[in-house]
Amino acid sequence: MSALLEVEGLDAAYGDSRALSGVTLSVGPGEIVALLGPNGAGKSTLLGCIAGLVRPRAGTIRWDGRDLRAVSAHRIVEHGLAVVPEGRRLFGSMTVEDNLELGAFSPRARAGRRASFERVYALFPVLRTRRRQIVRALSGGQQQMVAVGRALMASPRLLMLDEPSLGIAPQLVSAILDALVEINRAGVAIFLVEQNVRAALTLAHRAYILEGGRIVGAGGGAELLRDPHVRRAYLGPLAVHE
Amino acid sequence: MSPRAGGLALLALFAALALLPLGVRRDDLLNFVLLILLTITLAQSWNIVAGYAGQVNLGHAAFFGLGALTARTLWIGGAPIVLATFAGALVAAAFALLIGAAAFRLRGAYFAIGTLALGEILRTTVGNVLPEISTLPVASIAGYRLAHRYYLALALAALSVIAVALLARSRLGLGMQAIREDEDAAEASGVAALGLKLRALVLSTGLAGAAGGLFAYYQISYYPAHAFNPTWTFDALLVTFIGGVGTLHGPVLGAILYVFLKEYLTVRWVDLHLLIFGVLFIAIVLLFPGGLVQALIQAGNGARRRLGRRSGAPT
Amino acid sequence: MLLIEQQIVLGLLLGGLYGLAAAGLSLVFGVLKVLDVAHGELIMLGGYGAFWLFALLHWDPFASLLVVIPASLLLGVVLYAVLFGFVVRADEETRVKNSLLVGFGLALALHALAVRLWTADDRSITTSYGGAVIAVGDLSIPVIRLLSLAVAFALIAGLHLLLTRWRWGKAIRATAEDWQAALLTGIDVRRAYLLAFAIGTALAGAAGTLVTVGYSVSPSIGLEWTLKALIVVVLAGLGSMLGTFVAGLFLGVAEALSAAVFGGPYREVVGLVIFVVVLVLRPRGLFGAR
Repeated sequence: MSALLEVEGLDAAYGDSRALSGVTLSVGPGEIVALLGPNGAGKSTLLGCIAGLVRPRAGTIRWDGRDLRAVSAHRIVEHGLAVVPEGRRLFGSMTVEDNLELGAFSPRARAGRRASFERVYALFPVLRTRRRQIVRALSGGQQQMVAVGRALMASPRLLMLDEPSLGIAPQLVSAILDALVEINRAGVAIFLVEQNVRAALTLAHRAYILEGGRIVGAGGGAELLRDPHVRRAYLGPLAVHE
Repeated sequence: MSPRAGGLALLALFAALALLPLGVRRDDLLNFVLLILLTITLAQSWNIVAGYAGQVNLGHAAFFGLGALTARTLWIGGAPIVLATFAGALVAAAFALLIGAAAFRLRGAYFAIGTLALGEILRTTVGNVLPEISTLPVASIAGYRLAHRYYLALALAALSVIAVALLARSRLGLGMQAIREDEDAAEASGVAALGLKLRALVLSTGLAGAAGGLFAYYQISYYPAHAFNPTWTFDALLVTFIGGVGTLHGPVLGAILYVFLKEYLTVRWVDLHLLIFGVLFIAIVLLFPGGLVQALIQAGNGARRRLGRRSGAPT
Repeated sequence: MLLIEQQIVLGLLLGGLYGLAAAGLSLVFGVLKVLDVAHGELIMLGGYGAFWLFALLHWDPFASLLVVIPASLLLGVVLYAVLFGFVVRADEETRVKNSLLVGFGLALALHALAVRLWTADDRSITTSYGGAVIAVGDLSIPVIRLLSLAVAFALIAGLHLLLTRWRWGKAIRATAEDWQAALLTGIDVRRAYLLAFAIGTALAGAAGTLVTVGYSVSPSIGLEWTLKALIVVVLAGLGSMLGTFVAGLFLGVAEALSAAVFGGPYREVVGLVIFVVVLVLRPRGLFGAR
């Protein structure tokens, strides 16, 4: 099975420091792949490179076998890649409906937007009730739903999420993660950057570990959950608070 | 051209200019050079805040106007012109201190439009309070000596160039450079930004006020509000940027080019020089921020490379 | 000696134009983060467009809006492509500063060009219905200025609809809020910038036409109107076009009151003083709240 997204030997800089060194990973169709690692490891920079917002210094990014680096940032979603950025980055002064509609801005997405609306509202019923509300007035969890919904409106084949559980009440976190499982069941691949390691590894088929800009480990989700280094660094008493 | 050679060139130039009225009787030539010298003073004074402290002051004319108003009033009242000019500089600087703390709360473009508004407030107010034209008393007109004005202009131009030269090398100047590069970083490393900016503003506006004094001495009759007209600011802006903002020679080169073009082109098309400079200005902001000085340095380096000699200045 | 109520009415009528002038500037500043200080010159050009259509072709100035607005739209596209499109390549703080300088150069060039082509004289349009007034009690309301206010309001309302109903209008608002997120959702941010700039210029052209028919036009109105627009934008803050319109009305009335209380020559000063005070009280500028 050929991969959907292939990153090879990616190098990127953030200011003067080396953010990514020789990062290589892949995501296959229908997979859930997690990217774990401490703060500042370069996870967001990696997503930024794939999404076309950050220009890498070296390496390749291939989507369906084609060079994604040649595609300008606003066209990436047309190819089937959608991003739920860290901190959600919603258009706060606009309504839920408007935010979702903008998710379907690209031509391909626009054509199927009626169906997409239905899918998103089915997944997150509370958004249908609140669709005329200004996004800024919603709770953190609801905003996250809008963010995920907005990305889904593009009918992506790969959904990339950057820290979706950050700053959200625990009950809502599981709701969102359940939604991700359902989305995946419908055939959408997921690339998840997450600090909540236990939740991410339970969900993911595979995962990579990024430390200091380098991939230091990879494996199946369940396998990594049992790995002693992972347990010590990310799940033990000294680990990041989940 | 090394700094020393550049400095010597300027010195020689000023010496030649000092001797000019002795050898030349033509008033139109003296007027022309005087205009250049006035422009140099105005531009160098503006350069201090823009080039070294990194802020675009669009209210510069207000200080020019205050200096002119003060100097004119005192001089017509009987004070010697040098004293009157000095007083003009003081009044301008005092006003700068008054508004400085508040004005510097604004950053970047907001400082620019805020100072523009301030300048316009002053101009409108002066225009309302003193609407009549100010004309020299007949006795003064009879005894009007262009050479005296010329030497005042030369002195002020020299003063402004020396001030900028010393500034660049001084602790004050280096502190200002730090602010210009990155204000937040400078603050963090202990550079007291506001104090430095205020000192730069005082120096800048004092010189502008002195230039205003020269204008008051030079013009036989004018409307007091005219010295507050934003065109004085815009002239300083154009000249400094085109010459090379933040450099010593920039305002000098820019002033010479500006006055030449203005006087030469006025014959055919009154404001053509402004059209040209407007376009040139845009080109410089977008493409050549270093202005003429940068262009000349690069051309010089290019020529040196072609002649096979080692390039002196770093690129 | 006019009644104070009369002065206020006239101030209100002028204020509508202030609001329209500011709306274009506000749109460009809010979306592109570009401070186009040549905005007043664009108003001036629109005014001359209307004037020459009247003087040479005898077009009614309100009808000439049908030509001036598209022409200004086109001018906006050109100016963006040739000039401001380059300014937006820098980060936000540099952008604002550079646009100020570039706008300054542009204003200078346009002003000089206007003086050369059309002289520095004041020009105005005198239509057959130019002197008509509507009497309401002791007040007389000039018909032309009333019509202009209505047109200005209609344009602002139209702009509001454009920004809230039109797909690209929403894209423009999204870009103004978060251009990176806009890119991620597939919005071509450069195109959004172009549209916003063109619309802003079109509004300036329309304002110029209304200024010329109700008052007069000359090359020097540029700086004056840029300042008015800036004052209103700073007063209203960014984001709401209707709010900008109201702030314009407010400025018009404030000027009228100031003229009534302090005398005519001080009319201009009150706006500038308000401007400086508001600026200093909000030193982070208009984006500070975020």
